[in-house]
Amino acid sequence: MTRDRIYEKMTEIFRDVFDDESIVLSDETTADDIEDWDSLEQINLLMAIENNFGIKFRLADVSGLENVGAMVDLVQRLVG
Amino acid sequence: MNSYKFSDLSVGMSEQFETVITEEMIDKFIEITNDVSPIHVSREYAVAHGFENRVCHGMLFGSMFSTLAGVYLPGEHCLLHSVETKFSLPVYPGDKLTVSGKISEINDTFKTVFVKGVITNQNGKKVCKANIQLGVRE
Repeated sequence: MTRDRIYEKMTEIFRDVFDDESIVLSDETTADDIEDWDSLEQINLLMAIENNFGIKFRLADVSGLENVGAMVDLVQRLVG
Repeated sequence: MNSYKFSDLSVGMSEQFETVITEEMIDKFIEITNDVSPIHVSREYAVAHGFENRVCHGMLFGSMFSTLAGVYLPGEHCLLHSVETKFSLPVYPGDKLTVSGKISEINDTFKTVFVKGVITNQNGKKVCKANIQLGVRE
């Protein structure tokens, strides 16, 4: 799957999880940029990504994610 | 009280309990929340507007999902994340409710459990349903 396509789907997921249609993602986007992105929503976000892309994260995969760019890289690696 | 650990839980597991809604419960809820909408306070008002009796607050009987999670499924080690609730029918004083929950999904990576909750009245009618998300403390 192309990075652009992953970004497209990730944007939909973020907008749905945070109920905010104005969200625009970039590689540098972090939890500091989205008001409701707390630890609980982080879990909801990652589970939504798992379901949407049909992938399964390991805790080690997701514990060190620094920003959306790292998240997209991880999804691309798992989706293939 | 049940004390299920995360590893004890599996999809399909279910628990239930019964409770009777009383006038006193509704009065206490009004005292706590100050929701004094006449439909909850006055039998006369409620009947005049097509109900059988004063109507129990949805958030009162919906709060039984807290009991379901914190006492029954999984019980002691529960950490409630969210409860999305829908109210289908009015509940009146004297109604005997059965509160039940069934695990629909478990995410092992994030130690998160999803429970489908249902509350039925003494006539077997569904009065409330909920999607419950919870964690289980180790």
